[in-house]
Order: sequence, then C-alpha cells, then structure tokens
Amino acid sequence: MFDRRQFLQNLGGGFGLVGLQGLLQSAAQDPMTPRQPHFAAKAKHVIFLFLNGGMSHVDTFDPKPALIKNNGTPMPGPKIRTDRASGNLMRSPWEFRHCGKSGVEVSEIFPEIGKRIDDFCVIRSMWTDIGNHGPSLQIMNCGHQLPGRPSMGAWVTYGLGTENRNLPGFVVLCPGFPVLGSSLWTAGYMPSIYQGVHIQNAAVEPDKLIQNLRNGELSPAEQKKQLSLLDQLNHRYLDRLGPRQPQMESAVRSMESAFRLQTEAGDLFDIRKEPEKVRARYDISDFGRGCLLALRMVESGVRMVQIYYGNGQPWDNHDDIMVHSKLAAKTDGPIAALVDDLKSRGLFDETLILIGSEFGRTPMIQNSGLEKLGNGRDHNPPGFTVLLAGGGIKGGLAYGATDEFGFKAVENKVHVHDLHATMLHQLGFDHTKLTYRHAGRDFRLTDVHGEVVKGILA
Amino acid sequence: MRLLLLLALPLAAQDDGVFFESKIRPLLATNCFACHTGSALGDLRLDSRAGILKGGKTGVVVVAGKPEESLLIQAVRRTHVRLKMPPVGALTQQEIALLEEWVRRGVPWPEAALPTIAATTTKISAEQRSFWSFQPVTNPTPPKVKNEAWIRTPVDRFVLARLEAKGLKPVPVASKRTWLRRVTLDLLGLPPTPEEMDAFLADATPKAQTKVVDRLLASPHYGERWARHWLDLARYSDGELAAGVDTPLANAWRYRDWVVDAFNNDLPYNQFVRAQIAADFLPSAGRESLMPGLGFQALGRTADDQVDVSTKVFLGLTVGCAQCHDHKYDPIPTKDYYSLLGVFRGSKDFEFPLVSESEVKAYREKKKKLDAINEMLNDFLAEQSKQVVDHLSRDTAQYLMAVWKNASAQEGLDTETIGKWKTYLNVRDKDHPYLKSWYDLMAGNPTEEQVRAEAARYQQFVLELLEEAKEVEDKNYVAFGGKKGIKDEKTRQYTNIVALPVLKFYQWRELANGPYNIDGFRAPAGVYYYGPKELDRYLGGVAKQYVDRLRAEANAIEKDLPPMYPFLHTVSDTPKPADIHVALRGDNKSPGEIAPRRFLSVLCEGEATPFQKGSGRGELAEAIASQANPLTARVMVNRIWQHHFGQGIVRSPSNFGQMGERPTHPELLDYLASRFVESGWSVKAIHREILLSSAYALSSQSNEANLEADPDNKLLWRHNMQYRLDMEALRDSVLAVSGQLDRKFGGPASAMTEANARRSLYLTVSRTRLDATMALFDFPDANASAEERPVTAGPLQGLYWLNSKFVAAQAKALEQRLAREAGTDTEKRIQRAYQLMYGRPPDAEELKLGVEYVAAGGNVWQQYLQALFGSGEFTSVN
Repeated sequence: MFDRRQFLQNLGGGFGLVGLQGLLQSAAQDPMTPRQPHFAAKAKHVIFLFLNGGMSHVDTFDPKPALIKNNGTPMPGPKIRTDRASGNLMRSPWEFRHCGKSGVEVSEIFPEIGKRIDDFCVIRSMWTDIGNHGPSLQIMNCGHQLPGRPSMGAWVTYGLGTENRNLPGFVVLCPGFPVLGSSLWTAGYMPSIYQGVHIQNAAVEPDKLIQNLRNGELSPAEQKKQLSLLDQLNHRYLDRLGPRQPQMESAVRSMESAFRLQTEAGDLFDIRKEPEKVRARYDISDFGRGCLLALRMVESGVRMVQIYYGNGQPWDNHDDIMVHSKLAAKTDGPIAALVDDLKSRGLFDETLILIGSEFGRTPMIQNSGLEKLGNGRDHNPPGFTVLLAGGGIKGGLAYGATDEFGFKAVENKVHVHDLHATMLHQLGFDHTKLTYRHAGRDFRLTDVHGEVVKGILA
Repeated sequence: MRLLLLLALPLAAQDDGVFFESKIRPLLATNCFACHTGSALGDLRLDSRAGILKGGKTGVVVVAGKPEESLLIQAVRRTHVRLKMPPVGALTQQEIALLEEWVRRGVPWPEAALPTIAATTTKISAEQRSFWSFQPVTNPTPPKVKNEAWIRTPVDRFVLARLEAKGLKPVPVASKRTWLRRVTLDLLGLPPTPEEMDAFLADATPKAQTKVVDRLLASPHYGERWARHWLDLARYSDGELAAGVDTPLANAWRYRDWVVDAFNNDLPYNQFVRAQIAADFLPSAGRESLMPGLGFQALGRTADDQVDVSTKVFLGLTVGCAQCHDHKYDPIPTKDYYSLLGVFRGSKDFEFPLVSESEVKAYREKKKKLDAINEMLNDFLAEQSKQVVDHLSRDTAQYLMAVWKNASAQEGLDTETIGKWKTYLNVRDKDHPYLKSWYDLMAGNPTEEQVRAEAARYQQFVLELLEEAKEVEDKNYVAFGGKKGIKDEKTRQYTNIVALPVLKFYQWRELANGPYNIDGFRAPAGVYYYGPKELDRYLGGVAKQYVDRLRAEANAIEKDLPPMYPFLHTVSDTPKPADIHVALRGDNKSPGEIAPRRFLSVLCEGEATPFQKGSGRGELAEAIASQANPLTARVMVNRIWQHHFGQGIVRSPSNFGQMGERPTHPELLDYLASRFVESGWSVKAIHREILLSSAYALSSQSNEANLEADPDNKLLWRHNMQYRLDMEALRDSVLAVSGQLDRKFGGPASAMTEANARRSLYLTVSRTRLDATMALFDFPDANASAEERPVTAGPLQGLYWLNSKFVAAQAKALEQRLAREAGTDTEKRIQRAYQLMYGRPPDAEELKLGVEYVAAGGNVWQQYLQALFGSGEFTSVN
C-alpha cells in the first residue's frame, strides 16, 4: 500500500540546502516545500518594482549641483563614450529637497517617497556592464547578459520554496509585456515551477488575471464532486503502482491545491475587496494597482513579486526627460502607500523592496539625431541609483556616490551582482553557496562575482 | 629568476622532482588549477613555486617545511574556519598526506618552474587526454551473467551483470499493456489505440514486440516525436528574441520539418550532423536535401552561441566555458574556443532560396517597384499633410473665435478641426505657457473685441512657430549635406541635430505632429494634423488624381505579387573568412594571439591541423562526424537512451567532461556507440537494441532492498516512471483520445489556441513571449539549448485540467466519440473510455464509480471524462 504518512513525514522534514537539488531530483521532494536558508534571514519576501527603460538618477535620487553650475557646457575631462552621441551637461529641471530626519535629498517629483526617505536606502553607486536594454535587463533580472539563465525570482523560489502552496511562488505583473518579455522571468534550466507567473494586470477582475481560474460551467459543489472522483481514481492508481512512488503522489496532489487556489486567488487577486480608502491610494495606474496586488500577495505568502512599470520601456526618455515627472506621478504615491501598508500589516521588516531600472541616464543631453526634441538623456550603465527598503536594510541612508556629474559610480561601487548577493544575503543565503547543478556545472545567480554590500545592512 | 628558484630548491631536488611530477603536479592540476592559475581567485596562483610562496588575499598559504602552519593544508584538511578547499569536494586522506609531505619537504618545484598553464596554452597533458570520454570507443563483448533466462538482447547482459555484481535482482517485467503504452508514447508521443492494444495482446508469437517496434518506427508520427527532442537541443524557435515580439524566423519550420524527415527516414546520424554544421560544403549530389539542416546554425543568435550550442549538442563538451579563460575543468584552452569562433565568424546568415534564380529576381523586381510606388505615395501624402497644417493654421484666430462662440460649424472653417480645437482647449493643463493669456482672458468676462485680439495674437505666434519649426528642419537637412528643399523621409528620421526649444516643441507637437506614442508618453494627433488616411477629403483635382493613380498601381502590383518565395534559414561563408585573435578574458578590446581555425586540441593527436577550405566549417563537420571522434556517437546513443529510460547512461547528456557525470554503464555506452557506427549511424537500429531488451520492459514498481542499495536506480533495477508526460505528449494524447487530433504533417507554425488541434510540435515557439500554457508544462526556454526537461507540478497545472476550455472541449468531443463507438450503454461507454485513455478495461470498482458519477444528470459525462484526463494514470507513463 501507498504509504501516505511516510510521504508526509518526508515533506515535513525540511531540508537544509546541502543536497537540496539532489533531493528535488530524487524521490521524495516537493520543489516548493518551504526551506530553511543557510542562516537566519532578515527577509522572507521580495518586491521588485521595476522602472523599466532606465530611471534617470540625476533627476530623481542623486542630486548633482555641478550640473546646475555647468548646465549647457561640455563635461570636463576626456571625451567619454556613451551609447549614442551626447551633448552638453543638462541640469535637472527639478529641485531636490532634503527629506526626513536623515536629510537625504530627493527630487520634487517623488514627494511621497521623500516624506518616507528614512525608510529607504538609496544606493547611488550602482553600475552595470552594458548600455543596451537587452543585456542590461538580462543582467539585472537573471545575473548574466545572455538570455537563458534563471531569473532572480526563480532563484529565490528555488532557495526558499513557498509559504503558500496554493499560490505561485513568484509572480510578475505588467499590463502587457516589458521588453524581452518572458525571458526576464524564466526559470532557465531550472524546473518551470520556479518561473514567474506572468499576470497581465491591466484588468481588475481576478479571472481575467489568472488563466483558467474559473470554471465557467461547473458549480463549486459539482467541482468538489469531480475532485473527489479524481482523488479516488488517483489513489487507485497509486495503489496499483505499489509503494514508494512519492513523486507520483506529489504530481497528483496538484489537483487539490488547484482547487484551493481557485478559492484563495479569487479573493486575493480581487483588489475590489480592499476598503475604498486603501484602494484610492493605489488606483491611479496599472503600476499602482500592481503595488496593491503585491501587498496582498506578500500577505498571503507569495515569495517574490515583480512589477514592471509598463509595457515596453516607459522610462526610456531619450527625447524628453520631462516625461519622468508624469511617470513619477503614477509611481510615487503607490510606492508610499505600499510602504505604509506593509508597515501597518507588520510585513515591512520581512519584505525586501527593490526599486530600480536596468541602468540610469546620462547627465548629458542626448544629441544623437535620433530624437526630435533635444531634451532627453541616453542610457547610463556606469552609474545609477537603486532604492531598497524593508528586509533588514538601513533606512535614511544614501550609500555610495557617483562622480561630480553623476556619470560614473566612484565611491562604494555596487555592481548588479553585488545587489543580487545582498538580496540573497537578506533572504538568508550565502550567494556563493546557493547553487544549481546544470550541465555538469554549479551555477549561481551571481555567476563568479558579487559581494554583499555590508554597509547598507541594518 | 630561474637561478634564484634553483637555489631555493632543497638538496634532495632529484627525488623531489620525481615526487613533484608524479604526485603533486597532477594533484594540483586536477584540483586547484581551475581557479588558481589564470583567473587567480583569491589573488592566489598555485601554478608556480613563486606563486605559492607569495600567497593570496588571505595571506601566506604555505610555510615551507611546516604543514601544520600552512593555510593550504588547513584548507584541504577542512579544519580552517572559513577556507575549505577544493570547494567541490574534499581530497582523499591519501592526497592530503601527499600535500603535507610536499610542504614538509619545503615545497619543491623542479627546474623550469614556469607557470604550468599560460593564459592560452594549447598543451594538453597525457593525464587530461586519458579522461574516459576522450578514449576511443571500444567494442566490448557483452558479459556473461548468471541468470541467462533474463537475457533478451545484448543490452541486458550489461545491465544484469552490474546488478548481479551488487547482488541485486531486477523487478519483474511490466505487463504487456504497460509495455505497449510505454513504447508507443516513447516512440510516437501518442497513446496506443484500443485496437492496437488488442492486436498486441492477441499476438502470442515471439516476434510480437519486434513487430510493434517495427510498426512504430515506420509511423511518420515517430519523426514528429523524436524531432522535438532534438529541437530542444537546437533551441528551436519560430522567432528571434526581440524587444516587443519575436522577430519572425518565417521559414524556421522548414528546418523543423527536415528534422522530422531525418528521423523518419533514419538519415545516418553522421550525415545529420554534417548537414547541421556544413551542408553547404557537402558534395553537390544530395546536397539540396540536406541544406535545411543549416537551420541549426541559423537559429543561433551569434557565432558565440553557435560554438557553445554546437559543441554541447554534438560533442557533449562545454566549450563555451572557455570564452574568457581556459576551461576550468576540461582540457579546452581559450585558444581552442577562438579557433572554433573563427570558423563561425567566417560564416554569415544566408537566406537560401528554394526557387529558381529567375523567380527570385522576378519577385525582387516587383517588390522593389511596389516599394518605390509606396514611397512616392507616402512622401506625397506626408507633404500634403504638412500643407494642410499650413493651410489650417492661417485660420487659427477664426477657429478660436468659433470655439469661443461655441459654434459647432462655421462657413469657411473645417468642422472636424473646430471639434478638435474644442477638445484641445478643454484641457487647460498645458506643458507650455503659450495659451496662458487665452485662459486668463477666458477666466474673466471678456468682450468679443478682447477675444478677437487675443486670438489674433495667438495666430501670429502659431504662424511664427511653424516657420521656426521649418527652419529647424531645414537646418537638420543642411547639417547632413542635404540641399534645402530636397527632402525625403529616409534621411529625415535620423538627422535631428537641432531641435525647437522644449516648450515651443510641446506647442508644435500639439498642433502639427502626428499621434505621439512612445512607451512612456502618449499624445493624440495635433489639432491640425491629418495623416495619410484622413487626408482624402482635403485632396482635389490633380493631387487626388495623382494619389488615386499611385494607389491603383500599387494595388495592381500587390495583387500580382506572390507571397515571398520560400527560402531556408542557413549560413554561408563570408567572402574572406579569417583567423581571429583570442580575446583575453573574453574582452574583445584585449586581443591576444591569433587562434588558427582548427579543431579542438584534445580531440586531435598532436597539434591540430589548421582548416584549409573557406571558413573551415566543412572540415569541422567532418571532424565531429568522424568515426574516430570518441564523443559524437557516445553522446547521441546516450540521448536516445535518456529518452527511453528517463536518464542517460551519462546523466549529464550535454556534458561528457570532467564536471559531467560518469557513465553508470561505461561498457554498455561503448557497446551502443559501436553498434551505432556499425549500423551506419542508424538511430532506429539503436532504438531496436534498446526497446527489445528485458531492461526496457521492467515494471516501475519499487523494491525495498533495491531502493535501499540504489535509491537513484542507477543500476536500472526497475523502469523509471515518467511522472508527467511532457507538454507535447500530454496535449497530443488528449487530442488523440478525443478523436480531434489533426494529423496533418509539417508546414508553418500556428499559435496554441483552443481550436488548434494540430500536434504540439507545430505550435509557435517564441523566445520573447513563450506561450503561458507551454511554459506551465515545462516547455524549455528556447533561448538556450535544453538537454533535458525537468518535470514540475503545481496548482496552475491543476487549474488547466479542471477549468481550461480546451480540456472541457476535448472532454465533450470524447463524450460524442463514446456515443458513436459504444452506443448508449453506460458501462460500455466507460469501458471504451478506459480503453482509449489508459489502454485497459476498468475494474468492477472503477466501473461502479463511473456509473454512479454519470447517473447524476447534467453535463456529467463531460465532468467525468475531464477528471479522467486529469488523472495520474493518463498524465504519466509507468
């Protein structure tokens, strides 16, 4: 006879990471079982708010008085190569203000984040390798510029499993698709259970958000009856197979969790269930509604949620940096609301929030002839800004610095690999030891790089 | 330097030299050089005495003569708090003792004392060459076994000999039903029909299984199934990764269909390999039919990808790892990587036409003519569009007055434009100040005269603004050498070297620009802007005639123009293929020495000979497809084994190197590889070797003693269950059982929709927007070669079975099929359903469950059959 109790004991045991993969691939492991990381974690969830296209750091969180002084003049020093031809330095059209007790300076287009800056760590010394969107998006999301590697969310879910087996472990929200689409949330060579479940959140109704969430024809009672039949069929089959077929048991169990998902997700993904007062603060953009969904998902135990601001690359303002203020207006309030509500629901400390882009934008005006209006900035991989909050990160901190003009990270430089290492550290992982064996090699999110940024840890 | 080192050597140098060369150097090379030579992790190099004595980031690593105080020894003993080396696994006690002895002797490092591995060495040691997978394939005699009765084929001897050596007994063979379902799904990706099952059960002859295997291998569905395994490796996609949606690879399906045919026709594997690397180099007789194989290369993004994927797939070597440094584990120097990269850099994508030259020419000429007319038309309309702006803008004041008077139409003014003005003025929040005085005036209670004056002022401003915009445009043309007045759309786009001041640009955009829609920002068309499609009502007389004539001409050509001629995605040599430099650390800006185009050093005896012909792809193909190549046949028979047993004999099918797995049955692997070559590289011959064995026929049931001794079933004491069919077999089985499967072969891909009933092989594969349902059931990311498919289960998969319209529709279709084939009797219907889905009749209990379930009324049959589809018995193979 099939030994159900033995199986459940196996499941309940909890595994350290040593040999995790081996267990996954051999008999008795469910790949989504919640697991203990290498050491005590500060964070249990990640929310990555992705301002796709490239947020300009010098207009938002990295003030550069030298740009005001040198507005309209060439950047001093040797000629620097940028992706496309650049012109003279351009000051930010917006004022920066000292905010919070910490006095960290924030642009006026992010007033609500400014008010809460004491909760944020502003890394002003980010850098990445390449100035094209494609490879930079790949590096930021999957740790390598070539497509085909598992994404951050896949690594996190692989490492930690999920707290709520009725929901996916990693969810990606975008009204449609960002540039490069599904390759940004792929599980790569890992089992697909770790891939991001992509939800096109332009709609509000839950059954439009999740594929096959509702059965149009059957009543819940009928479906319960159907499931009970299925359960009997499956147990007869398991009996026929004989004992010790735990993976088969795990495969057929997905039906039961599917049924629970219907109920749970129907509520969870329905933001109309939130009080009007809560909703109003988010309900100003797809991104904002995404933030509210992220809050609800984290509350229900989803491991990682990533929100792309919009389709394509909205923050890619080559022509006109003024567009940033319109984007910020749809971003600032929901982020503030998310921070407030995570706090009030007691989730802030255990949720690591990342806010950033694939790269920054040049302090110089773009002058390549591609744009009709000469008021924008080009891609800037050598220096940009990322915001972190919650999850054991020091608030009210401006960490690292770019040069006088904001072109290049110079002080306490943080590469994308370092950011990944730090994220994994907060989740309780030594990033050099969270490995996945594929094609005879142990792969890591951080490849052969990455140092934990100790200076930003609370 | 050398003198100093010699002096530093201890007195017993002679013996130490032998000791070092025979014991220590191989030990260091195998365990340490990967990270502590060129890439010097922890700033430590262990490839020279100087390097070792210098130490690394953590400080001094070796104190000569004092093993206890040496970090190196602490690290290999794993007694150091942090450093535990090598990271991949501890050394043996014996090896540790050798290292201790070496340190005790004072770290002797004889004579040459130069770093062992230069950045781009091509020297490969005898030890490295002695690695198992680089040895020639042997032809082992199948071993003797105790239990002769179990033996059906030579394969069984290799399997049983190992089991017997461990004192294990295989589980009994599976039932005939189980075997037929297993082998049919394995070879066709479809379940056996009840008729096939009955025929097999009734066949008591000794050749029953042979007949089945022959029948299945002769089915054209066999190629469809096995092509998909290959396409996983070939990172097959119908489009290329791109920003928004895939850039279509419109003829990729011709490569897919060629792979299907290759399997169906049992194209000799060496020829299959040659075709996919260098079909264009093959003798002209028969070349045509092999050309589609080059799709394998054309589907690669870059030459780097071609090196990486070709070596993984055909050779089971991860040559891509040597792009930035010598391979950390395998004898693949960086230089070898660039030798191969040079070969692929010497080739370029080429659209190989499948029609005559004259047809290509005729198509291109017609297409060119059509493009020219469309360009004329577009240029003319764009110019007209600008003139309309000029024309309308001269009445700006009147339009404002009309809005002020709230007129919906007015003599002499364009009604639609009045409407657009109203809409525009209603939104008071402008990004520019030029209408501020208008709004200020409106806020009070102005007289008509005041309004008229303000409108006139604004009109004057608008006219000047449009003039200024024109000057800006002219300057841009002149700046790029164009003549004022001679403009065409092609040069305009990328020549914006000057621009209007920002605020003026906003106002201009709102008046004269087309709809503005970049990712971050959208704006409607300007008030005066009418695009090519809206212009007709402004056109009259000669202009209208001109446009109509051009449109008619374009239509006529378009009607006459056939769809673009069919072509193959292939590669061909560049005009002058050349050797390239090694890029040091993978950085193109740091060129190292020239890497002659030639084959991998480790697979050549002595120095590899440079390729002579063109890019060298032809010679590369020959070197890979050669009978003498120890890897090619082994890698392929292992892949065939993998898809029959769920695991390869080498369980890392695309890595036969140091870090890959070792074969569980090395002799069996060689036996199959030599049979493969002997049979003329016949894939079908290998299927037969495998499928008719007792080993393949084993049941998947467990056995406590065996499970204890060999939990991973490496010795094959039972059959590995397939816990869930892959996405293609799953969906195809549903369609086959419901009777809806569209068995048409080949042709362009089509999207996965509810109505699409073609085999899953023909569904569109995307690199940018992988279909969500395909992804849900572990379809691989087509951006990279996939050597195996992990199987996962999650609640979203459950939802698919419970709620998807596709499954519901198939259940309904099956219900109708049952009615047709089993009449009205409930029990007969249930029996038929079980036969179709599971290949067996229901037992009494199951029959009872079914009868009770469908007694309830409503759409119970559909619900019942949907549950049967979602059941473990249907979705798995035991």
